Amino acid sequence: MKECVLVVDDDREIVKAISILLEGEGYEVLKAYDGLKALDILTTGRVQLVLIDVMMPKLDGLSALMRIRQKANIPVIVLSAKSEDTDKVLGLSMGADDYVSKPYNPAELAARVKSQLRRYTLLGDIHAGERAGEITNGRLTYHTDERILYADGEAVKLTATETKIVDLLMRNLGRIFPAEEIYRRVWEEEAFASENTVMVHIRRIREKLELNPKEPEYIKVVWGIGYKMEKQEKCR
Amino acid sequence: MDTKWKNRKNVVSFMVFVLGVSLVLGNAIYFLQNWSDRLSPGQLGKMLEGEDYQSRGRFRGYISNRLEVFLDMATDSLRFGGYGYSYDGSYYGYGGYGTSDYDAMLNDILMNQVTEEATAVVGSEAIQEEVWPYWEDWNERWYWEYDTDWDTDGSDGNSKALTPEKRKELARKAAEQYHDLIKGDANLLYKVSYDGKELYTNSGELMVSADGILSAPEGYNFLLYYKDGKVRIWKDGQELDVYGDGYYRDGTTGNGSSDWYVPGYRNFQVDEKMKKAEICMAVAREPLLYTEGTYGRGGYLQKDNSLYWMQYNAVAERQNVIRCLGGLAAGLVLLLPAFLVRKGKRQADQGIARLQAKIWVECKVVLLFGILYALFYQFIHVYGSDLWLEFAYAYEYDYMSLLDSWYGGELLRRFPSGFWVLLFWTVYLVGNDIRYNKKPWKKSLAAKLYQTFSDRELKRPLSRRMVHRNALSFGVAVAYGVLLLFGAAWAFRNGHGSAWMVGLVIIMGMTAFLVVEYLIGTKNVEVARDVEALSDRIDDIRSGNYGTGADSDSEAEDGRDAGKDSSQAGQGAALYVGHDLETVMARLEDIRHGMAKAVDEQMKSERMKVELIANVSHDIKTPLTSIISYVEFLKEEENLPDHVKDYVAILDEKAQRLKNMVQDVFAVSKAASGELPVHMEELDFGKLLRQTLADMEEQIAGSRVSFRTELPDTPVMIRADGQRLYRVFQNLFQNALQYSLDGSRVHVTLQTDGKLAVASVKNTSSMEIEVGKDFTERFARGDASRTDGGSGLGMSIAQSFTEACGGQFCWETNADLFVVTVSFRILQLFS
Repeated sequence: MKECVLVVDDDREIVKAISILLEGEGYEVLKAYDGLKALDILTTGRVQLVLIDVMMPKLDGLSALMRIRQKANIPVIVLSAKSEDTDKVLGLSMGADDYVSKPYNPAELAARVKSQLRRYTLLGDIHAGERAGEITNGRLTYHTDERILYADGEAVKLTATETKIVDLLMRNLGRIFPAEEIYRRVWEEEAFASENTVMVHIRRIREKLELNPKEPEYIKVVWGIGYKMEKQEKCR
Repeated sequence: MDTKWKNRKNVVSFMVFVLGVSLVLGNAIYFLQNWSDRLSPGQLGKMLEGEDYQSRGRFRGYISNRLEVFLDMATDSLRFGGYGYSYDGSYYGYGGYGTSDYDAMLNDILMNQVTEEATAVVGSEAIQEEVWPYWEDWNERWYWEYDTDWDTDGSDGNSKALTPEKRKELARKAAEQYHDLIKGDANLLYKVSYDGKELYTNSGELMVSADGILSAPEGYNFLLYYKDGKVRIWKDGQELDVYGDGYYRDGTTGNGSSDWYVPGYRNFQVDEKMKKAEICMAVAREPLLYTEGTYGRGGYLQKDNSLYWMQYNAVAERQNVIRCLGGLAAGLVLLLPAFLVRKGKRQADQGIARLQAKIWVECKVVLLFGILYALFYQFIHVYGSDLWLEFAYAYEYDYMSLLDSWYGGELLRRFPSGFWVLLFWTVYLVGNDIRYNKKPWKKSLAAKLYQTFSDRELKRPLSRRMVHRNALSFGVAVAYGVLLLFGAAWAFRNGHGSAWMVGLVIIMGMTAFLVVEYLIGTKNVEVARDVEALSDRIDDIRSGNYGTGADSDSEAEDGRDAGKDSSQAGQGAALYVGHDLETVMARLEDIRHGMAKAVDEQMKSERMKVELIANVSHDIKTPLTSIISYVEFLKEEENLPDHVKDYVAILDEKAQRLKNMVQDVFAVSKAASGELPVHMEELDFGKLLRQTLADMEEQIAGSRVSFRTELPDTPVMIRADGQRLYRVFQNLFQNALQYSLDGSRVHVTLQTDGKLAVASVKNTSSMEIEVGKDFTERFARGDASRTDGGSGLGMSIAQSFTEACGGQFCWETNADLFVVTVSFRILQLFS
């Protein structure tokens, strides 16, 4: 059975573009052009994910989001032309699971939809509680015993060095590691010109687990200080 | 009409109050002055009843004296002479009993009469005058005789004992003269006999019965009979108990003095010679005034009328007491309604105070001193310098308290009660003025002069004002010096007597001098404070705080409120009204206000710009989303001809660039308006540069330029927003990659001088750098044709982000060398 995504935007071309994109990924897409219609469609109970624009006639996206949250627990991704940090924080605090600013990158959007759906449909109950030997951070789960990192439930293929770095960062969520320390602990050598080496590996890891490596959410550079695994506030 | 009635009521209640207080005060003082020794109710009652003059102590004294004189007359022992040595060489003051001194006796008679008359209240003056010629006449006669005696004695200044015969002769002469003097006074009938022989009498009607009872004519109710050293007294037909328990007591030693100072007590006897005398005396119930026409000598002579005046005074005193107590009672009665309508009285007080407030304080002081001087004139006049001398002695010999009580009593007696009432009201008015008129000195000639002067002063420029003030200060000092000089010269010329005058002048001059100095001093202090406030204000404005200064901290953070504070600023300027720097302050306020307004306008326009850009960028983003989405689909179309694929690639590239540009424009406008949120943290500048380079490594490796870095190994800690600073260097490196000459090197260095960390990016431009071009200007770029990929905002973003983080952004060109420096203050970490 195809997973059903509801796309809500007052711009019909954008709705159509997203439909093409998501249908190409194998989802069933329902369309709505305002908040009220979206709420209407949601009553059918078929929808498993909502992509919703903020600025819309009749009922804006954030208001619609609040109403959805009163009834359903389905993932909602807010799609907005407002790209400020404050706008993102506002959307997330009102119950959105993710925030994608326009103009979006189609591949990234598809990845985010996939990520949210996987976590919702497949892993929903797994994340109810954390098991021993598991470290969960947002859509990442690290099995310390097997030393395997799962993103949205799928194992991420990492090299031995990359695994060591991920191991260090996942075990110390939020802690900032200077490049020298990462180098010492991973390569177990005295650090020399460590910055470039570490950065290269970080970038590779990012490409494997970030939805948009250019705007990383998990492995972040703390400029002038070091690197860290950002602890995700929202953990579904 | 209501208010009129109310006013009238106030006036009436005040009048009642004034009358009541005056009556009570005046009569109370009068009473105390005259009868302070008779305050007991019994005594008062006696006075009010109308005391019989014969029951008074004065009368008894009179009778005792007369008896003594009569005894002397009977025994020929009345003497001439004054104080000093008597004829027999023994010293005497007032003679012992039975040796009356004629002089003293005469004095007694006359003084007694004069005293009685002088204390008489009604018509005393006229009669008193009549007494004096009589008195003088007798004095003349006496002195003449005395002198004669003196001469006949042939003594050369020292008196000499007389022979008994001579003394007797003189005594008889004195007795006869005395008899002449008093016999005309029929108020006292007397008969003086010695050894059964009648010597002197002024009445044939005094009879003594066989059992020793004296009888007198009708109208004479007081009788005294002396025989054998004993006295019997009858009053209104009743014999009085003269001797009591038979012992004489003086008032000061025992419990009350004996009533009669006459011989016959067991401890007060007379000698045998005195016992042979027999005296009869009868006193009229209603004494009359006896005079003798002496027309040849002008007018008439009074006889010894002591008894008449005694009786007269007793009656007059009663009238006085009644009047005084009546006045007191009336006053007390009036005070009751005055108390009941005290509200009206208070309003009247306030009304008077309002009137008083209109009078210059100087006038009031002069008036007050005038009144006080007039009131005390008598006192000062009478005592003059003696009073001060007395006080000086009192101070020296420490009997001040004694003096106080004496002078206090004297003061009370000397001034008429009206004086005290006037004094009371003067003090009352002064008190009223002080009570209701706050700051009474405000309404004064001096204040008015000062006001006029300072008003005129304020119109002058500050510098002139200060010059004037100094001139005034100097002038006053000179005037004071001259005054002192003249005073000193005058004092030397006039000797010590006027020293106090000089002192007074000096004190007055000093006071005036100090007052003027004080006023000028305060003014100068005020100016100094104002100047300080002014300079503070200027500092404030210079540092960009356009608020009122009082709450500068809060407003420095929130410049947009500056405009709203103009009213407050007005108040700030109002603080300086009347001050020397008023106009300067006002002008500064104008400047501040103008600047605040300008800054406010600028902020407003910047905010509007950001808002506009935000809106525009949002509006651009929506269609851009569609463009990017559909270009993406086109890119995945496989059956397109190659040239179409090229077109799609171009579309993709331009769409991405447009996307970047929109974001950059938004960021730079936000940074320019100061609304860019920055998250400041401590970070290592060197590491940040290394990270940035590492982050861009692929780009750098793929370019035709190489990077040369010169970064310190030790941390260079600064305070900045790492994310923003990363953008700064990302932009700078991208520019360097984009505009550098192929094969050239980009030098990235970080240098520290202990205080500043300076990062520089130097590259050689591939194109000739236009001289005078501002690269940080928005949309400026290396080539004017704008065909390359940048948004033209790189440098602009770099500059505004650096400044948002608190750093300094500079760039310079030298031929084809392009140098950008970013400097931050180093944090002193381990210090």
